[in-house]
Amino acid sequence: MDAQRLKDNFAHVAQHGDQVALFFYSDLFLRNPRLREMFPVGMSHQRDRLLSALGRIVSQVDNLPDLVPFVQQLGRDHRKFGVEALHYPEVGASLVATLRYFSGPSWSEQLAQDWTDAYNLLSKVMIEAAQEDAASRPSWWNAQIIAHERRRFDLAVMRVLPDRPFPYRPGQALSLEVPARLRMWRYYSMANAPRPDNTLDFHVRLIDGGPVSPVLVRSIAVGDWIKLGPPIGTMTLDERSERDILLIGGSTGLAPLKAILEQIAARPAPPRVHLFFGARYVDGLYDLDELQKRAAGTPWLTVIPAVSDHDPGPAAERGTLPDIVGRYGRWQEHDAYVCGSPGMTDATVDRLLQLGLSHDRIRTDKYADA
Amino acid sequence: MTSPDIHGAQRLTPAELQSVNFQRAPLGRRGFDEDQVRAFLRQVEQELVRVLNEKAGLENEVARLRERIAGSPPGVSTVKPEDAHIQAVRILSNAQQTADQYVADAQRYSREITELARRGRDEILSDAQSRAVLVLEEAHRQASSAAEAVAPSTEPMSGDERRDLEREIAYLRTFSDVYRTHLRSYLEALLRNVEEWEKSERDSVSDTRASLPRMD
Repeated sequence: MDAQRLKDNFAHVAQHGDQVALFFYSDLFLRNPRLREMFPVGMSHQRDRLLSALGRIVSQVDNLPDLVPFVQQLGRDHRKFGVEALHYPEVGASLVATLRYFSGPSWSEQLAQDWTDAYNLLSKVMIEAAQEDAASRPSWWNAQIIAHERRRFDLAVMRVLPDRPFPYRPGQALSLEVPARLRMWRYYSMANAPRPDNTLDFHVRLIDGGPVSPVLVRSIAVGDWIKLGPPIGTMTLDERSERDILLIGGSTGLAPLKAILEQIAARPAPPRVHLFFGARYVDGLYDLDELQKRAAGTPWLTVIPAVSDHDPGPAAERGTLPDIVGRYGRWQEHDAYVCGSPGMTDATVDRLLQLGLSHDRIRTDKYADA
Repeated sequence: MTSPDIHGAQRLTPAELQSVNFQRAPLGRRGFDEDQVRAFLRQVEQELVRVLNEKAGLENEVARLRERIAGSPPGVSTVKPEDAHIQAVRILSNAQQTADQYVADAQRYSREITELARRGRDEILSDAQSRAVLVLEEAHRQASSAAEAVAPSTEPMSGDERRDLEREIAYLRTFSDVYRTHLRSYLEALLRNVEEWEKSERDSVSDTRASLPRMD
């Protein structure tokens, strides 16, 4: 297998952009019509994801130490879609057919062999990772909504009970699927540390024009069932650290920080924790009452609400989270956890770096805006 | 063609049967009756024309059936299976792109409508808020001017002054009642609006949900 030949060929093929993925899926569904129902009606995001995953794989095809973990994760991630080992050769055939079609006269038997070898190798890694994963946990969990509370017309806090225990670390997220929007998995962070009764809390903000969040905020009801994928995410508490802690959450970016806060509270001697909770309007501070109740009985916890787009009066600080955080004290000796929109997260991290916090003491999670 | 002998490689055509010439048998040797031979050749020629026509018809039929299997439009005589597959891929890709376009349009439309509703809500709320503030300020002003009217008079009020003051108080009560009613009906109308929006949205979503299969 000649890695450079694969890269050159892929660069040539990838010039056709979206057409490549379009051809691939059409070819796949024509050869295997039953695979179509594993995908959503609208396929544009799916095609983007395919191309970016392929691009990443090809760029690292000669760097197995970096590539293998990524491909193993892909294999595990695909379990919740119902992908099984027998689907891999079908996908491989369509992939090679697509590459051949777009290569035109530059296609050769040699290339066909290279691609087939590479695909077989990577699909073996994916299948093995999926099988290993299957030994320890299900492909997905079914969970029932047991509580649902609208905090504002576009914000909801809900509690679900999975049909089996769902082990995870505070700060992590999962992808979920609602029956009204099949094949559209969306990521949400657990807003609590694991509980003995296995229940999980989620904070959901309605995204205008989004397909899934309006269902979760407005129409899902107690008793409804949803599907949960496995936990993912690396914004987890550094348990070896003795330092004080800074938690900074914008809107529903609060959720994973609340889970981390509960984990800290369970420590015998919790460090000092400052929790900054920001929103554009004061009614966007949907969980502030609850947080302030916690802080009132907790000497080590300080909660600072911030509102950016109007004057909240005495209820909160006025300004963006990076500004408010910068205005308050010195954070060089703290560990920081930041979660919110991509813009808020990046701006806050920049500010923390300016304030003298080093990169390795900042952990972040961004929620998607769409 | 003048020779009756037919080479294996060459295909015999009806025209050749018409123009075939036999050499006469040498004198003293016997031959077939020439008329009989010609009549037979005509018969063979007609049979050959019929066979060739039937063959062409069958070929057309085969091509037509092949086209139907491949799903290609008429006019293309024969389609190789791999070309047919590429054509099918193209057709499916076009269909998918159309579907993607519809989904994107629907999502954009829904986003625009929601954004508009959100802006409308914010405007209604801030409007109601500033009205409430105005009503309160006005009531406050009236109250303090009434209080000022009362305060300076340390001397006992005359009957006229008392009547004026009572009238003023009665007026302020009515004023406050009227504004309260206004404000209440205004807010109730707002709430009804919001409830109707929510109800119609819930209905539309639960319809969708009812029509979808339940997962286990």
